[in-house]
Amino acid sequence: MKEIIRRIVSSIVLIIVVSFITFFMLMMIPGDAVEISLGTEATPERVRELRAALGMDAPWYTQYLSWLTHAITGDFGVSFTYGETVTSLLTSRLPVTLSLMVMAIIIAVLALTIGVFAALKQNKTFDIIARTLMQIGDAMPQFWIALIFLVYISAQFDVFPISGFTPFTESVYGGFMSLLLPALVLAFGMIATLIRIVRSSMLHSLKQDYMLMTRVSGMNPVVAIIKYPLRDALIAPLTVIGIQIAGLISGVIVVESIFSLPGVGRLLFSAVLKRDLFLILGLVSFIVTSVIIITLITDILYILLNKRMRREES
Amino acid sequence: MRKYVFILSVILLLIPLSLGIVSFFYTPYPITEMDIDNRFSGISKAHLLGTDQFGRDLLSRLMVASRYALLLGTVSVTLGLCAGAFIGVISALSNKWISMIFLRFIDGMLAFPGIVLAMMFVVVFGDGLYSTLIAIAIFMIPIFARLTYSLIKEQQHALYIVAAKSMGLSTPRIVWRHYLPVILPRLVTQFSASIGSAILIESALSYLGLGVVPPNASFGLMLKEAQSFMLSYPYLILPSGILLVITVLGLNLMGDTLNDRLMKLGDTHD
Amino acid sequence: MKNKFGVLFVALMLTFVLSACGKGSEEVEDLLKENKTEETKDGLKVAISVDPDGLDPHRTTASSTFVITNNIYDTLVKVTEDGEIVPSLASSYEQSEDGKTLTFHLRDDVKFHDGTKFTAKDVAYSFERIRDDLGPRKDNYQYITEVNVIDDYTIDFKAEAPSASFISDFAYPWAAIVKDGSGDDLKKSPVGTGPYRLVNWTPQDNIVLEGVEHYNKGAIKNVEFKIMPDSTAQVTSFKKGDIDLIETTGDVVETLGDAKIIEIDNNSVQLMAMNLENEHLKDEKLRQAINMAVDKEELINAVWWGYGKEIGSHYPPVLKGYVDTTNTYPYDVDKAKQLVKELGREGITLNMKLPTDYPNYVAAGQIIAEKLEAIGIHVKIETIEWGTWLTDVYGNRDYDLTVVGHTGRIDGYDLLEKYGSTRSDNYFNYKNAEVDNLLSSIKVELDDDTRMDMYKRVQTILAEEVPAVYIQAPTRIYAINEDLEGFTSYPIDVFELKDLKFKE
Repeated sequence: MKEIIRRIVSSIVLIIVVSFITFFMLMMIPGDAVEISLGTEATPERVRELRAALGMDAPWYTQYLSWLTHAITGDFGVSFTYGETVTSLLTSRLPVTLSLMVMAIIIAVLALTIGVFAALKQNKTFDIIARTLMQIGDAMPQFWIALIFLVYISAQFDVFPISGFTPFTESVYGGFMSLLLPALVLAFGMIATLIRIVRSSMLHSLKQDYMLMTRVSGMNPVVAIIKYPLRDALIAPLTVIGIQIAGLISGVIVVESIFSLPGVGRLLFSAVLKRDLFLILGLVSFIVTSVIIITLITDILYILLNKRMRREES
Repeated sequence: MRKYVFILSVILLLIPLSLGIVSFFYTPYPITEMDIDNRFSGISKAHLLGTDQFGRDLLSRLMVASRYALLLGTVSVTLGLCAGAFIGVISALSNKWISMIFLRFIDGMLAFPGIVLAMMFVVVFGDGLYSTLIAIAIFMIPIFARLTYSLIKEQQHALYIVAAKSMGLSTPRIVWRHYLPVILPRLVTQFSASIGSAILIESALSYLGLGVVPPNASFGLMLKEAQSFMLSYPYLILPSGILLVITVLGLNLMGDTLNDRLMKLGDTHD
Repeated sequence: MKNKFGVLFVALMLTFVLSACGKGSEEVEDLLKENKTEETKDGLKVAISVDPDGLDPHRTTASSTFVITNNIYDTLVKVTEDGEIVPSLASSYEQSEDGKTLTFHLRDDVKFHDGTKFTAKDVAYSFERIRDDLGPRKDNYQYITEVNVIDDYTIDFKAEAPSASFISDFAYPWAAIVKDGSGDDLKKSPVGTGPYRLVNWTPQDNIVLEGVEHYNKGAIKNVEFKIMPDSTAQVTSFKKGDIDLIETTGDVVETLGDAKIIEIDNNSVQLMAMNLENEHLKDEKLRQAINMAVDKEELINAVWWGYGKEIGSHYPPVLKGYVDTTNTYPYDVDKAKQLVKELGREGITLNMKLPTDYPNYVAAGQIIAEKLEAIGIHVKIETIEWGTWLTDVYGNRDYDLTVVGHTGRIDGYDLLEKYGSTRSDNYFNYKNAEVDNLLSSIKVELDDDTRMDMYKRVQTILAEEVPAVYIQAPTRIYAINEDLEGFTSYPIDVFELKDLKFKE
């Protein structure tokens, strides 16, 4: 318990440090929102004046402190580009990205089942086919798969829209279809790693002495598999889920761009291109916070499960 | 079976490797030489794989791209491995507080959206090659750090470590003589698979305009260039795409067989 | 044996469930499709690649904003597709004898989208905003010294000196009239008098506009701008019929078969700028050699698929006062090579900074670099992201060569003024006393013919002294739904939705 509290406190400190680093880096890199918004259409003098009028010429630490004090009270500022609060932009974009990621994870977990079968039938045809497919899928760049889906599936079948997102509140079916292909692309990136982990964990436990014991004691083999190796195998991916989700975010940007999904990833990408300071800070803080929370939960879960299992085994 | 997979991975890897090595001495054409009258030429005697949108020879560009892919992958993952292993060792063996700080640091790196980081590097350091390299290395650091951390934690209470400690050996010495030989094989396995993902990360960065810059050649850049003609010249995407898949596939299979082999060794050890 | 059956059973179940889902969905889709085809008729869908930079016309210079706001707001006068200026919110206007005062008589039957009446007060308020500290175009309207509201429907603008381009400054989309006191909410909730009002803007997804009733009968009522960053996705959607209007490129046109293609000559200018502070590039002869090394026709073919008009100076052919200077230093590699040798500048290295966000400029830069290599000039290409480009190249002038485009204007002066030697946007570092003189006299010259002669003189000087290799004025290519009629794009990158109709 003490351990958990300590982790939570240190995580909060970490989030503040990350926001500071982000802010500092944004201040250091060339180009700011005003410059980009004016482009080659205004004189550099105008840029300077405008910056002053917007209070962007204040020293960076005062700007950061004022952002931080507001952020702590839940006010993340207003986006320069959209003239809307960062919070409302985030909350309106979040459902898209969240459903996309959840769907990708569901697909990946379904595929895990395949991994389990593959392990049971090591070196059999099924295993070989499953592994070949997953290996090739794993070796293709996501944007390539996405474009192939777009041109050869979305364009040919009316079932899949080429672009955009239908909110689930509007139509569950439409929402599902608009996310299926993008989620599949995202899942491709995860499946291979997950299957690999599950597979090796299963193989490992199948060879353990206690499996021999179950056979000797006349336990139903299916029950035995479910009871031991399968459980091991399903716990193993927990250790990497944090890494996987963090990795998903890069993929999300690519997939959202190609399928024109109005999600958080694209919002972040265009915010960086436009140097929309408050929007970047808000989004980065949010993403970092959520990934940290997820890692925290999976870590705790892992410890708990592991403990319980040890107890049972002994 | 495992043997065949291994042989397959070697064969696959030999393709980009030999192309890359030969590209140091010879390419059919200089990679930036343009021949606009002959663009999108398709496969011909003069251009074995055809030409791109500027009439540049695709084979020559692919040869150089293979070189970049393997170099970029190896160097960035090596950087990531060294830095990650270092951080991992420190966080596993230091006292509670330092360990806590380092672990949170790893969490922070893991959670920070890699693309934002990559963009910042590209913006700050400009030229694509080095910033891409560093950006990919940074993607890799937390992965290796976490792996090293958990591997060391696993071994911490093993008999030989406890024995070494009781003999009063210094920590760096224990790490060097006792931990390293045990964890190294696992790190190497991860290393081989990571080069594959490094190449994929480069291609994603290229798609977003953050990777290796023109007129250089990299798989990602060539794919991105071909992608803009996907509707008018769809076959343009094939040469670089297939070679990329071959390379990554080869690396992944190699990683897998190494991993399987390691597991087998581990099992007989028990 | 037993577990094998178990596995098989689960697998079978899975396949069954999955295929059942697939079947059901097709039926549902058939139903949806029937409804859909009927719906699309009264709604227009336009693909755009980026979000507008807010919907406040007075607070940005992004053309992505004006494409939308041009339909939400009106200006006092507007420009036709031929570049003529005609009344819009003003029913008429007159310029005083001395050219210093412009009087607008406003229409009295116009209402804002929220129902309030449009009066001279709104005009005064709008120009106050355009000219305040937050207005990016402040400098362009600085010469206006007074704005006097005479009565509800009459307003006067006084300039410090007579100005020929006076009236055209009121036709640009950034001179749009907003409601008095509508304040800084305009970025997300615009209030204008235009033919369309904003229904909803979901950033990165879509912008939905709805026709205002009393305006133009027969216009399309519902318009949706879909934001689609990937061009392959745009074209694919267009082919599938999900989108009625896209802007596209030459190579794609060939794959669109018999879709309706509309080409419109744009008055923006694309060029390779040279930094005249560079020790080599300050040599006029070298710049001429560089110009001769570039085969512009080939370049336009290679990068823009031939869709563009070759130019020889900073002036698009569609604009009044254009003079053909394309043959000042025609393409001649041997002569260029010879010249570089004579100048003793063989083997020099120049850097070329290209903006990654504009793939066409990157492509053009690469081709030019190859051409310069052929005459003995090494080029080190550096691609930088747009934000960095603006700081390094445009702001700090830290570059040797760069490829970029400049947005079109209605009056040539607005294009040429950046060559004034003291201008802060003269990133070429170009200095020429005659050009300075000409520019200041153009501004006050009221006689059209004399002014056009001056424009021609400036163009000729620029073509001879080559502060930049002028490449082309692009042709915009739109692919539109074959049932769509009335599409015209204006030379300044905007189009009017209200002119569009679906064929009966």
